[in-house]
Amino acid sequence: MNKKKRKRYPAVFIFLTLSSLLMIFPFVWMFLSSFKTSADVYSYPPQWIPSSFQLGNFLEVFKKIPFLRFYANSIVIAIVQTFLQILISAMGAFALTKLEFPGRKKMFTFMQSSMYVPEVVTMIPLFLLASWAGLVDTYAGLILGGLICAFTTILLMSFFEIIPNDLLDAAKIDGCGYYRIFLQVVIPNSRTAIGTASLFAFLTHWRSYMWPLIITNNVKLRTLPIGLKYLVQETSSEYQVLMAASLMAIIPVLLVYMLMEKEFVQSITLTGLKS
Amino acid sequence: MKRTVLVLAALLALCAAVIPVAAQTKLKVWYAISGDSGEAFKAMLEKYDAANDDVALEYSYSGNYGDTATKVSAALVSNTAPDVALMAAGPLYTGARNDFFIEEKINEPDFQKNDIYPGVWDYAKFNGRVCAVPYGISTPVLYYNKAVIEKAGISLKNPPKTWAEFAQVAKTAQAKGNINGGADFWGFDVTDVGWLFKTMLNQNGNGVISVKGGKITPAFNDEKAVEVATFWEKLTADKLMAVGQHSNAEKKFLAGNLAFLVATSARVARWSADPALKIGAIPMPYFQKPSVALGGNVLIILSKDQKMKEASWKLVKYLASKENQTAFALKTGYLPIRKSGLTLPAAAAAVEKNAMFSVAFDQLDNSWSYWHFDQMGTMDQILAQTIDTIERKVRDPKAALEKAAAELQAEIDG
Repeated sequence: MNKKKRKRYPAVFIFLTLSSLLMIFPFVWMFLSSFKTSADVYSYPPQWIPSSFQLGNFLEVFKKIPFLRFYANSIVIAIVQTFLQILISAMGAFALTKLEFPGRKKMFTFMQSSMYVPEVVTMIPLFLLASWAGLVDTYAGLILGGLICAFTTILLMSFFEIIPNDLLDAAKIDGCGYYRIFLQVVIPNSRTAIGTASLFAFLTHWRSYMWPLIITNNVKLRTLPIGLKYLVQETSSEYQVLMAASLMAIIPVLLVYMLMEKEFVQSITLTGLKS
Repeated sequence: MKRTVLVLAALLALCAAVIPVAAQTKLKVWYAISGDSGEAFKAMLEKYDAANDDVALEYSYSGNYGDTATKVSAALVSNTAPDVALMAAGPLYTGARNDFFIEEKINEPDFQKNDIYPGVWDYAKFNGRVCAVPYGISTPVLYYNKAVIEKAGISLKNPPKTWAEFAQVAKTAQAKGNINGGADFWGFDVTDVGWLFKTMLNQNGNGVISVKGGKITPAFNDEKAVEVATFWEKLTADKLMAVGQHSNAEKKFLAGNLAFLVATSARVARWSADPALKIGAIPMPYFQKPSVALGGNVLIILSKDQKMKEASWKLVKYLASKENQTAFALKTGYLPIRKSGLTLPAAAAAVEKNAMFSVAFDQLDNSWSYWHFDQMGTMDQILAQTIDTIERKVRDPKAALEKAAAELQAEIDG
């Protein structure tokens, strides 16, 4: 909001400022808590500024859990999953928006309805399938379990619909097949959409906890969200160590967002997507 | 030369066939405890693994209690369950599947089942039969802030015995013991409302559920339960306890803004280790009889064949031995489950160091639990919501408990 608008709409400006502060509050709290002593964490009323800045909390994370291993697993798995998910979703979205085939509308309705099924309901049947396929305790099991996502497909569909059919017809006349149209016409025209969908997909996979926990028993295959749980005490809580680990864990997400920020903002403008 | 090689190869093959090779039994172990508790449990598994050449353990943290329940459920349907699991509500995964293997094994003389507190055994039962071995057990303990009590001029040498007596003491503490001088100062609170409420119910002669012919029915809606709920309502009505602030209770207590707190016995070890904290504990007050409800985790065996079950039992027996379980308890804050464990020098030293241990250990004589049943998790949720409605005066105690019992009955009836 520029200076002129701030003067014209003071109430809106105040509301937006307060909302921003509310959104940023948990992050500030996490940042400050990661440097606190145990006594600071448990003080009541809450103590904002650490009595002394404890960098040791960060070292403690590495002592308590194989943090780098968890980190590497999370990065590799989230990137591979995001890539595959976007590829599958984009192909699905292309077929559902630009191709004519029997049952297309029913398929779309079916896909939409799958979004209303809670994850916990599908978890056990999915595990059963993975177990039959011998994917328990494998990277393949970790990656394949979370690939199919109706939301990403629907999000991409809303962008693909904007691409004029004339463009596709022109490509057909030039001798392009479906795969070439998809790769050389649709994808290059949908960078914003793919950027946004990738951001959502990456966030989902980065935070994923239940599926990686169920499909793995070997600590070497485990990801950061499970690693953070290792730090939660049963009979007490070293909250400051957990916050230090969480602070380090959000760095890749921030990097991805910074890389995709332009596409993300553009996509919001184009689709009216707000959450 | 070729002939010599062939003869040697044949001899080697013969040796391989004739000389028995000690086969290792691979046992998969999952545990639902993390942090220092998880590390202490893992260290015991490592020790067992190193000491037993015939066994190879594969152990893994399986998430918190809820996550482990989901993981074990998924593993059971896909035939990939671990051999041993340390988890809450374990009997729902053995007894509920008609697996009472442990019930036979605990009768082995070297296990000494009578050394384990009877109330603790109840925590390992499904439909009246033992199907788990209690392990990480805790009870609610009534703690007090020493500075607050001192400022209020209260002597706890003869602590209040009943809840009515306690309420008077807590009122005095609230009136005279405000060490910080702030407005947000309270006499009493509790971190886990459902746990204390169930403790109080049993103290007043109500068993929470009733079991007849294997059928479970909610029992927390009789006159005795209403008495307890009315007392609870009075605690908030008299402004001795804050309404719906229980998740903040521990922080308030440690900051000196709360005189008395009921929290898990697991806090004894943690608070004793911190010289900056001046905390004491007194025996839990009661209505008709002293009693505390148990909580925590149990060991279960999910192996399929007999050989694996026997190997798993050997491990469970090792973990639940007097020395090992007591060492685990003292390291983690859980309670020793064996009476003989309290005679060990380490347990005596803990009591010597801090009298709070003694309060927690003594309560084990009055520990109690209802048998496990499928809807017990739902019951805990219903009870917590019910207490909230009582505190907020949405319903009177009788109506709230009637509604809660009807809801649970509907869940049980499916």
